[in-house]
Amino acid sequence: MSDNKENASNGESCCACSLDPERRALLAATAGVGAIVGLGVAAPFVGSFLPSERAKAAGAPVEYDLSKLAPGQMDTIEWQGKPVWIVRRTPEMVAALKKNDANLVDPNSERSEQPEYAKGTARAIKDEYFVCLGVCTHLGCSPNPKFLLGAESGMGEDWNGGFLCPCHGSRFDLAGRVFKSMPAPVNLVIPPHSYLSDTRLLIGKDSKES
Amino acid sequence: MSLLNKTLSVALLMLALVGQGVVQAQEIKLDKAPVKFDNATLQQGAKLFVNYCLNCHSASALRYNTLTQIGLTEQQIMDNLMFTADKSGEQMIVALRRDDARKWFGVAPPDLSVVARARASELGSGPDWLYTYLRSFYRDDSRPTGWNNVVFPNVGMPHALWSLQGVQEARFAEVDDGTGKKVQHLAGLELTQPGQLSKQEYDEQVASLVSFLTWMGEPGQETRHALGWVVLAVLSVLAIFSYLLKRAFWKDVH
Amino acid sequence: MNCCKTVTDKAQQALAWVDERFPLSFLWKSHVSEYYAPKNFNFWYLFGSLALLVLVIQIVTGIFLVMNYKPDASLNLAGVPVAFASVESTIMRDVWGGKYIRYMHSTGASAFFIVVYLHMFRGMLYGSYRKPRELIWLFGMGIFLCLMGEAFFGYLLPWGQMSFWGAQVIVNLFSAVPVIGGQLSEFIRGDFVVSDATLNRFFAFHVIAIPLVLLGLVTSHLIALHEVGSNNPDGVEIKKHKDANGIPLDGIPFYPYHVIKDVFGVSIFLIVFAAVIFFAPEGGGYFLEFNNFFPADALKTPPHIAPVWYFTPYYSMLRATTSDFLPFLWAFIALISVLTWRGAASCRFVRGLCVLVPLAAYWGFFGLSAFGLTVPLTALLLPGVKFTVLGVDLARGLDAKFWGVVMMGGSVMLFALLPWLDRSPVKSIRYKGVLVKTALVIFVVAFLILGYFGTQPPSPVGNILSQICTILYLSFFGLMPWYSRLDKTKPVPERLTWK
Repeated sequence: MSDNKENASNGESCCACSLDPERRALLAATAGVGAIVGLGVAAPFVGSFLPSERAKAAGAPVEYDLSKLAPGQMDTIEWQGKPVWIVRRTPEMVAALKKNDANLVDPNSERSEQPEYAKGTARAIKDEYFVCLGVCTHLGCSPNPKFLLGAESGMGEDWNGGFLCPCHGSRFDLAGRVFKSMPAPVNLVIPPHSYLSDTRLLIGKDSKES
Repeated sequence: MSLLNKTLSVALLMLALVGQGVVQAQEIKLDKAPVKFDNATLQQGAKLFVNYCLNCHSASALRYNTLTQIGLTEQQIMDNLMFTADKSGEQMIVALRRDDARKWFGVAPPDLSVVARARASELGSGPDWLYTYLRSFYRDDSRPTGWNNVVFPNVGMPHALWSLQGVQEARFAEVDDGTGKKVQHLAGLELTQPGQLSKQEYDEQVASLVSFLTWMGEPGQETRHALGWVVLAVLSVLAIFSYLLKRAFWKDVH
Repeated sequence: MNCCKTVTDKAQQALAWVDERFPLSFLWKSHVSEYYAPKNFNFWYLFGSLALLVLVIQIVTGIFLVMNYKPDASLNLAGVPVAFASVESTIMRDVWGGKYIRYMHSTGASAFFIVVYLHMFRGMLYGSYRKPRELIWLFGMGIFLCLMGEAFFGYLLPWGQMSFWGAQVIVNLFSAVPVIGGQLSEFIRGDFVVSDATLNRFFAFHVIAIPLVLLGLVTSHLIALHEVGSNNPDGVEIKKHKDANGIPLDGIPFYPYHVIKDVFGVSIFLIVFAAVIFFAPEGGGYFLEFNNFFPADALKTPPHIAPVWYFTPYYSMLRATTSDFLPFLWAFIALISVLTWRGAASCRFVRGLCVLVPLAAYWGFFGLSAFGLTVPLTALLLPGVKFTVLGVDLARGLDAKFWGVVMMGGSVMLFALLPWLDRSPVKSIRYKGVLVKTALVIFVVAFLILGYFGTQPPSPVGNILSQICTILYLSFFGLMPWYSRLDKTKPVPERLTWK
């Protein structure tokens, strides 16, 4: 301890103390400007990791013609490189959604990710057309459609149609809502979308923005 | 550093001497292109480019939405400038098949993304070359397309802007080639059939097109220049501080 | 205050923990804080640290460029080669900040050669290659060769017209090698022309193979330097005069003094570097050649092919070596041999070489003809008899093209001989006499003129001047043992001159 004290009084125990004030000030100034330069230099390198213009162009909103989709059918399109499902739900399918509510984690989609206009039970602007990102909220696999009902589906007696993730078995209903005690924590994500006309759907853009 | 000075001066002197021997009389003189980077000029150029060039030439490095940098909105771009693409993020690529193009013109029309940078030479800048080139087409029936060009002899491209400029014809003069032989020498071009535009109007239109091609060679050149001044300022401060720091430390070196 | 002390103590403990397991403090002391360098370094001594800085810039920017570059010669939808488009559209436009990374790398390439040429010239000014620093110099030569390799392989990658035709020309140099030439250049390209295969192998060499060698050589260069200590503008050894603690009297610790001085040097360098990047990235067509903005086209050679500026002196020498130049070259070799013969009275081996080398060169240059001006002797005596072995006509010697290639490679390698060619009793230019100074001035001027003509299209004036300068370049090295010995030197001080 006494040795340390002696050193401190000699001004040798730490580098900063041994500097005269001029040197210390200039060292700080040079280091400061040097840091600014360093940050500036880092900018293009860090920025180059952002999605490129090519990626952005590929991820631009996608138009979809709903007229070719029959009731009860599903189509998958690509938006930002990810699968987006468009399901044309029959009135029976929509009606059956309510039956699942008791077994769901988040039936009203309060903790899940979707635009404001796609909350609630049906999770769609128009109940007939369900638009959903086909990416499991557990670890990112793409669930498979299981549209048959009851035992026929192999999903159990009370199955009302929905999706099953092949990776870890998460189950979702026809509004992308996850069932209780499944690996996936929340409902499937609904991407922003809007209707250009009755039959033309735009995926990737809200009507508010345009 | 007297040695360095001596070396440099001798070198410069010798270079100057030999340089004179090397520079040959250039026949082609390029006109200075009045390149302007204001939005109005660039938008006019973009319109000409899309209407007259993009039918055969791609500009694949340029995405349509980059044109927002010259003051156009995405909607304007989509409504007025996009004929073949459907997304504004797409690249300017023509539908023309390369094989067909080769059949028609002998060569596939080159991609024009960086043409203004590529065409620079000891004769002048790339924009100067383009500006002169686009104004130097003349009628030549010996060519398959019926057109030839002063700065690009036997060019494969017909005069795409002829309806605007009109038809020029070449005037030749007999010149002594120094050995007593007479050779045909291109003396000048003469407008024999006027186009939709007067000479001055045409030159202005070409200038806007060349401005656009120059801008297209590297969109954001002005941003780079502006950023450069900031960077140089910061680095100068660094240089001053580090010089003072060096002096403060070196004062105890005796 | 107490708080500050605790932190310092903890840091000390952490350092002690590391030092028991890895010689961190030892390395720092021996190579930085207690590495004593002469205090009279002038601005020429900045280029070593600048070269290291540029190496770091090239490696870091290179890594980020590789993330977006595609070595692919096939055409994309717009008919542009994928490699060209990955540079001109992806890196230059689509990637955020990509163009600055690319400009840093392309400007860095030229900056590297500027800095390294000046660094080498510093060594020549102050005799830094002399004993005991020969190995530092040789490692440095290795670095220089690697740099040339890096520059050559890297220049193909943008896949522009100059990339393509530059590679075509340089690879075809190997076809000048007797017997195996044709197959050799095909082997290097992996195709009949420069192609996708060539692009891919050059890419591999550029991004990993040569950089690995380069890093090893740079490390060796520095270790060798720190072993013997730095030279200085006076060319005297500071280790001759040490104080009681064994510290050179004229040395100061590398850190902080030289480090802080280098920081100042770096800031000046960065100003110039940034000015090019932001205002003239093409460097007037010398850093990025205009023709390289045209995509590679195997069917159309640009009207004027010139290598990038840093290769042009050697390119000039290649072009200068024509068959009418060979007699002069031979006369030069003969002169050196005569001089060496006279100086080596006692050594039969050297004298033997002095006879053998000019004879071999004569046969190689002219075969059995009189300086290539007449038909071979055999054609007169035994008309119709061929003396061709493996495609080489023994009666005619080898092509001038081959000797041009030898000239180009050899003239680079001549630098490596400097430690043994320089016989001056003093190291530094400061104490050398008028002979050596004149020789150095002539050498630099000849080098610059060769560089200038390398950028120009061939011309009769240029060719003759290049040939004269080639002889001057060779003479600087070839005659050095004699003029450096004859030179009237000044007395060298015992200690450094300072202020």
